[in-house]
Amino acid sequence: MTYTIRLNVNGKEHTVEVPSRRLLIDCLRYDLGLTGTKEGCSVGVCGACTVLMDGKPISSCLALALFADGKEIVTVEGLAREDRLDRVQQAFIDYGGFQCGICTPGMVVTAKALLDENPDPSVDEIKEWMMGNLCRCTGYYKVIESIQGAARRKRQAGDSDEGL
Amino acid sequence: MSYGKIGQPLGRVEGPAKVTGEAKYTADVLLPGMIWGKVLRSPLPHAKIVSIDTREAEQMPGILAVLTAKDLPDLLIGRRVYDMPVLAKDQVRFIGEKVVVVAAEDPDVAEDALAYIDVEYEDMPAVFDAHEAMKPEAPLLHPDYRSYAHAPEKFFSDIPNVHSHVTWELGDIEKGFALAKQVFEHTFNTPAVHQGYIEPHASVVAIDPDGRVNVWISNKMPVRARELLADVVEIPQERIVVHLAQIGADFGGKGSLMDAPLCYHLAKRTGRPVKMVMTYTEELMAGNPRHPTSVFLRTGVTEKGQIVARQAKVVFDSGAYAAFKPVPFVNIPGAKDAAGVYGTPHIRIDAYSVYTNCVPSGHFRAPGDLQVNFAVESSMDMIAEDLGLDRLEFRKQNLLKDGDWVPGGPQLEEVRVAETLAAAVKASSWNQPKSQPNRGLGLAVSHRLIGTGEANTQLTLKEDGTIQVLTPVPEVGTGAHTILQQIVAETLFLPLDQIRVETASDIFKTDSGSGASRVTYVGGQVVQQAAGELMKLILAVGAKGLGCAENEVVFEGGRVVHSDSDGSLSLAEVAKIGGDGKSALRVKKSLNLSEGPPVTTFTAQVVELEVDPETGQIKLLDVVTAHDVGTIINPLGHQGQIEGGLLQGVGFGLIEELRMEDGQVSTLNLGDYKLPNIRDIPPLTTVLVEEEVGPAPFHGKAIGESSITPTGAAIANAVYDAVGVRFHDLPITAEKVYWALRQQSGGKG
Repeated sequence: MTYTIRLNVNGKEHTVEVPSRRLLIDCLRYDLGLTGTKEGCSVGVCGACTVLMDGKPISSCLALALFADGKEIVTVEGLAREDRLDRVQQAFIDYGGFQCGICTPGMVVTAKALLDENPDPSVDEIKEWMMGNLCRCTGYYKVIESIQGAARRKRQAGDSDEGL
Repeated sequence: MSYGKIGQPLGRVEGPAKVTGEAKYTADVLLPGMIWGKVLRSPLPHAKIVSIDTREAEQMPGILAVLTAKDLPDLLIGRRVYDMPVLAKDQVRFIGEKVVVVAAEDPDVAEDALAYIDVEYEDMPAVFDAHEAMKPEAPLLHPDYRSYAHAPEKFFSDIPNVHSHVTWELGDIEKGFALAKQVFEHTFNTPAVHQGYIEPHASVVAIDPDGRVNVWISNKMPVRARELLADVVEIPQERIVVHLAQIGADFGGKGSLMDAPLCYHLAKRTGRPVKMVMTYTEELMAGNPRHPTSVFLRTGVTEKGQIVARQAKVVFDSGAYAAFKPVPFVNIPGAKDAAGVYGTPHIRIDAYSVYTNCVPSGHFRAPGDLQVNFAVESSMDMIAEDLGLDRLEFRKQNLLKDGDWVPGGPQLEEVRVAETLAAAVKASSWNQPKSQPNRGLGLAVSHRLIGTGEANTQLTLKEDGTIQVLTPVPEVGTGAHTILQQIVAETLFLPLDQIRVETASDIFKTDSGSGASRVTYVGGQVVQQAAGELMKLILAVGAKGLGCAENEVVFEGGRVVHSDSDGSLSLAEVAKIGGDGKSALRVKKSLNLSEGPPVTTFTAQVVELEVDPETGQIKLLDVVTAHDVGTIINPLGHQGQIEGGLLQGVGFGLIEELRMEDGQVSTLNLGDYKLPNIRDIPPLTTVLVEEEVGPAPFHGKAIGESSITPTGAAIANAVYDAVGVRFHDLPITAEKVYWALRQQSGGKG
C-alpha cells in the first residue's frame, strides 16, 4: 500500500509517494536524496539520524515517513543559510566537536534545537539534552565546548545578529 | 623551535563538508539503477550445510539475484591469511556467517526474501572458549589451516586450533626465575568489545560497460582493499578503481573487504550497481571485535622488589576465522607488551591465537595492548601489596630506562616514563590523605611503539598556484588530511589554503593505509620529503623563467625571486612555464619503513572513583592522563585523540562487553551493547610532558592509540583501593561490584 505525503523539508515543499512501511530516514535519504542524515544503530539509540520535526528533535530511523505528512522537517542540510554556516556548525569545526563526522549531522541538529530553546545552557543541561547522540570519536568533551562556544558567540553577537 | 603552521589548533580541512551533510560516506553513494544486497546468515555455530533451497526466494517479485557459494569462485580471503569464504560453502563456523546473498531494487524486499530461503544444516560439535579449543579432544575448525594462502609457517603450532603461536624473548627466562626471591602468578580476562564506530560497514560496486570495476567501501586501506578484491573475484587489479569516501570512524575495525566481493558478484550477475550496508545488529554479530583475551602472568621479583623475570601466556580468541588480522604473523601485536613499562632482564611471552566457533575477532585501537596492560598493571598493584611495598614506589623502582630493550622492539632512547608518571601523580590527588570511605585511587602506565609501514603521495603544482597533495589514505576521523596539509604548508612556507589535500588510490600500487598510529609518522615524512623535492623543481623552473641560474633564486613570500634583481614569479606563473615539454611540476613519492624508531611514547593515568556500596555503581570522580609527547602538530586534533581514546578506555573498564552465550552474541543492538554517552564522561585533566624528540616530522610523536590503553587497569586498581575487591576480568560493571561486595560481607544477596 502506498500513500502520497506532503512534507516541507528545509523550507521546500515535497510530495512523495511512499509505501506505508517507509521510514522517514529512507524517505529523506533515498526519495529526496538528502543523505546528510545518517543511519547508525537503526533503533533510536545513537542519534545520528536526528532531524527536527516541527522544531523538535526526533529519530528519523524510528519514524514512519507517513508521520511527516504535513510537517516541517529540518535536516543538517537545512542549517546553513546560503554559504554561511550556522553558528553551531562553525563552532563544531572550530572547537573540534567531531572527528569522523558520522554523528555530526545528528549532533548539530540536536544542538541547534537546544540553543533555540535554551540560548545559555549549563554543562549539565547540555549533557541532559545531548545524551541521545552517541559519538565514539571525541569523548564528548569537545562537543560540549562546541555548544558552549556557539552559545557564547551568539551572546557576544547580540540579538540583532543573524547566523554567524 | 617555532613554526608557522605546525602547532596551530586547526579545524579540519573537511570540516565544512562534515557539518553540512555534504561529506559523502559509502552508504551515501547513490547511483542510477542501484540495487541492494542482503545476506542470510548462519543461525548455528558449527554445522555442515546439507542443502540450500533458494527457489521460492528467486521467484519473489522484485528479486533480481540469489547467490550461494556454488555461484562464486571457490576461494578464501582475509587481510593476511586467506581462510574465510565469501559465502559459506560446505560448513558454517559461527553464528552470523554469510550463507546466501539476495539482491533487489528495494532493500526491504531483499530482506523479506531471506525468510523464504531454506538451508538444511547438520550440527557439528562446537567450541566457544579458546582454552577449551586448545584441548586434544576439541573439534578442529580448520583442519587444513596449513594449506591456506599466506598462512605463516613459522608460527604454526601443534596445539589444536592454534593458528598462530608467536614468542617474544629477552634474556633467559629460566635464569630470571632462578634470580627471583618470590614468584607471583596471576590470570586476567577481558571480553570481546566492538569498535563502536557509528557507521556500519558499507560497500558499493558498479561495473562499467568496459569492465572497469568501481568500488566504494568503508575501508581505511583502499590500496590494499583493491589488491584483496582482485584476488578474491579473480580480476586484474588494474581494472578496479577504489573511490575514497569519508569513513565514519575506524578504530582499527575497517580494514577488511566485508561485503564488497558480494557486491561485485551481484553487480556482475545483474548488470546493476549494488550497495550493501550492514545493519548495526550485523555489525555486533559479525563485525570484527577486539579479541576476548586471557592473560597469564608469572613474575619473578628479588628480595629488594626488582622484577627480574616475566613470563606471559596470552591467549586470544580468534573466533571462527583469522581473516580480520592484518599482521604477517596473524596474531595480535599488543601481546609483546606483557612486561609493561618495566625494565625486565628476562622475558618470555607466548601469544596464541586460537580458532573457536565465535565471532571472528579483529583489530581495535591498540590491539592487544589494553588486554595485556589490564593484566600487567593490575598485577603490579597485587605484587606491591604482597611485598608490602608502596605501589607507586614499586613501579618507580622498576621503570624502563634509556638503553633498555623491550620485547619485539628496539633498544630504547629518550625514555621519559618516570617524568610522565610523576606528572600524572602530581596532577592528581595521589599524595593527599584518603578522603572518604568507598573512594579510591588507581594508576596505570603504558607505552606504545610507533607503527611502521608504507606511505605514498603525489604532489603537483597546479596552474592556479595551489599545491595538490594526493594521498591514498582516507580520512577515517583522525585528522590525517589536516596534518598532511600543515606539514606541506610548513615545508613550503605557504599559506594553508594554498595546499589542497585530495584522495586517490588508483595511482598507487601498494600502501599501508591508516593504522598503527602510522600516518603522521610515515605519511607525514613522505609528504615532507615530496614537498622538499617539489620546491627544488619549482626553484629550477623559476630560475629558467627568470633567465638566471638556480643558485640565484630564492623562495620568498610565496614567489620565486631572483636575488639580484626585482624579477620574481608567482607559483601560478611557474606552473604555467612547467617542466620539460611543459609538463606539470609533480613529485610522486613512496616511503616504506620496516623498522621503527628507538623512541616510544608513554602514558600514565590516575583514576579517582567512588563505589556506591548499595548498588555497586562506580562513579569516576577524576581522571588524569599524562602523555609523553613531541612537537604537537595540531593541538586541537591531538587533544581530541586523547579524549576520544580515553572514553573508549572507560567503556572497556566499566561497561562494554559483547556478550556471547554458546557463540551467540546477545548484545545485538546499541541499546544492549552500551557505548559511553555524554553523561558518562569523567572530569578529565590532561598533562602533556613535552620535548621535541619524536621521530615524526618536526619531532612529533604518535598519540592515537595512547590514552585508551591504561584506563581499564587504573579503574580496576582504584576499585580495589576503594572497596578492597580485586577484579580479574573486565568490564567492572555495577552488577559485578554489587555481588562482589555481597560476597565480601558474607551476605547471600
